[in-house]
Amino acid sequence: MRLPDSVTGSFLVVLGAAAAYGGWILPPVPGQPVGPNVFPLVIGSGLALCGLAIVFGIGHSFEEEEELIPLEDGQAAAAPPPQGKLEGKLYGLRALLPPALLLFYVVAADRLGFIITAAIMVYVTSTALGAKWKLALPLAALSPFAIHLIFGKLLRVPLPAGLLPTPW
Amino acid sequence: MLKTLIEAFALISTWEVIIAMFAASVYGLVIGSLPGLSATMATALLVPVTFYLSPIAAIATIVAASSMAIFSGDIPGALLRIPGTPASAAYADEAYAMTRKGQAELALGAGVWFSAVGGIAGVLSLMILAPPLAEIALSFSTFEYFWLALLGLMCATLVARSSPVKAIAGMFLGLLVSCIGIENPGGVPRFTFGLTDLFGGIEPIPALVGVFAVAQVMRAMLTPEPPPLPRRKFGSIMAGQWRLTKLYHWQMTRGNIVGIIIGVLPGAGADMAAWVSYAMSKRFSKEPEKFGTGHVEGLVEAGASNNASIASGWVPSLLFGIPGDTIAAIAIGVLYMKGLNPGPTLFTEKASSMYAIYLMFIIANIMMIPLGIAMIRVAAYILLAPRSAIMPVIMLCCAVGSFAIGNNMFGVVTVAAFGVIGYVMEANGYPVAAMVLGIVMGTMVEQAFVTSLIKSDGSILPFFERPVAAILAAMAIGALLWPVMVWVWRKMKPVQTAVATSR
Repeated sequence: MRLPDSVTGSFLVVLGAAAAYGGWILPPVPGQPVGPNVFPLVIGSGLALCGLAIVFGIGHSFEEEEELIPLEDGQAAAAPPPQGKLEGKLYGLRALLPPALLLFYVVAADRLGFIITAAIMVYVTSTALGAKWKLALPLAALSPFAIHLIFGKLLRVPLPAGLLPTPW
Repeated sequence: MLKTLIEAFALISTWEVIIAMFAASVYGLVIGSLPGLSATMATALLVPVTFYLSPIAAIATIVAASSMAIFSGDIPGALLRIPGTPASAAYADEAYAMTRKGQAELALGAGVWFSAVGGIAGVLSLMILAPPLAEIALSFSTFEYFWLALLGLMCATLVARSSPVKAIAGMFLGLLVSCIGIENPGGVPRFTFGLTDLFGGIEPIPALVGVFAVAQVMRAMLTPEPPPLPRRKFGSIMAGQWRLTKLYHWQMTRGNIVGIIIGVLPGAGADMAAWVSYAMSKRFSKEPEKFGTGHVEGLVEAGASNNASIASGWVPSLLFGIPGDTIAAIAIGVLYMKGLNPGPTLFTEKASSMYAIYLMFIIANIMMIPLGIAMIRVAAYILLAPRSAIMPVIMLCCAVGSFAIGNNMFGVVTVAAFGVIGYVMEANGYPVAAMVLGIVMGTMVEQAFVTSLIKSDGSILPFFERPVAAILAAMAIGALLWPVMVWVWRKMKPVQTAVATSR
């Protein structure tokens, strides 16, 4: 997901300009010199300026490569990437799986219920991270109940029962 | 004062607080020790749980979990050369070199002992610094608050290990996010696009959970799994620590002081404290050549420093609502939620709660020693847990936790969206911490800005008229212009050199 600075910078210019315009068209408060429009105007302009600076490479020389962040250094980095066959353009899209599963939760939780939805989420994430079915299956079967016990029973978060209500 | 102290004791000596603190400590130790799960993430995932606790118990969980997680990040750092949290990254190589020399006990013991010492030094700084600063802060008007908040935002961008322009852009993004909703001077829907869910604005907590937890799970999808820990039996963990304390007392003190100063600076947290202290330790050491070969001196200084910064990070948070680091940013959210609104009046009106916070910090750091030793002994088993078992559970916690915040599914959508935003930002060198600060402080900055403008009838001169405001303004503007000045200076330099050589 590494994009050229010109792309991210241009995006910020457009976003900043849109924010400033959005602020500009907000109605002022009668009899008051400043209203809800001022702050978005200032921020939008600032963001657009930053975007321009990034496009022109200002401040780029300050950038350091991220040093030693967890999971990506040392022996871990030396290990061969898993599933070499899948390497390629589509491999990067795997990263979108967690947010996609969260949206699946939003859509499905009310109909299927917490336990079933959570079990599907856990199973998919676990296998995507390389777990064998021997680990993923029991994890998907047990962890939704454990989470439901903590959040639903002890903390009284109203989790949808759906098709499979919990025994408690 | 004694009466307040007794009241504070009464506040924390309830079963709820004791159990909450113990459970949060164990939780913090476990999460911190798992590579890839930072102390900030541990704290963010804890927030939904704090909803259901009393104010003091809620703060207790945050205090205990964050302190423990910062220490336990040292454990996989020393044993696997993979720091559990970014705050341990500065000296993970050194600790691992000690393990290879057969000194794992000494390295881990130094981690526990000097973290606890540093943590207690941080609390003392909080106790000593905060009340007099609160006295001064009581005379602050919205002008000073505006500049202070801006300075806080700028500090966060200055210390980021990336391009300052990108950090400032990240901060603006956060401020823009805070604009969403109807909580603005006109009470009109702003950037809501007709969606009623956006009327209440974007809550900072789901945004934080998204950028720190979901983004981490996203990264895990693409990075290889760390190697399993080899089994080993540990000897005495604390043996030799007293000798180290006597030998390196000055390094320890310097680490504490640096940690406290960095903690107080808004935006610069434990990670920065550890890096700076480790570098200082090497720079001023009598035996700099030993660094990198498994030398304990840097561990003493940096280990003390990162824990000292945790407590001192609460100074600006409690006084002004300006978070010292990302953990403090989460703590501010909890403080507001629990009616302990940050500000100088907190020290006068809710003095017993303040003392309770101090006491909890001290207790957490004392508890760190026995619990930390126990954790080191069971680390081998916890580190055996594969990532493919931990990450799915973390994600489930993100979904349920963000739902619990407002009891609506919009929280889950927010978490997913901010996961993507955080992931893309991090991948492209935009520091997410700057954006988080923007989101947390946006409403405060706007309120101070607009109230000041209304008071001054639209004129900007009064922003510079009061002496303290003028000083803060100069600092904030200096921080804002600094990257531009350095850029201009660097552009000029080759020209000057070229002119000099042509003569």
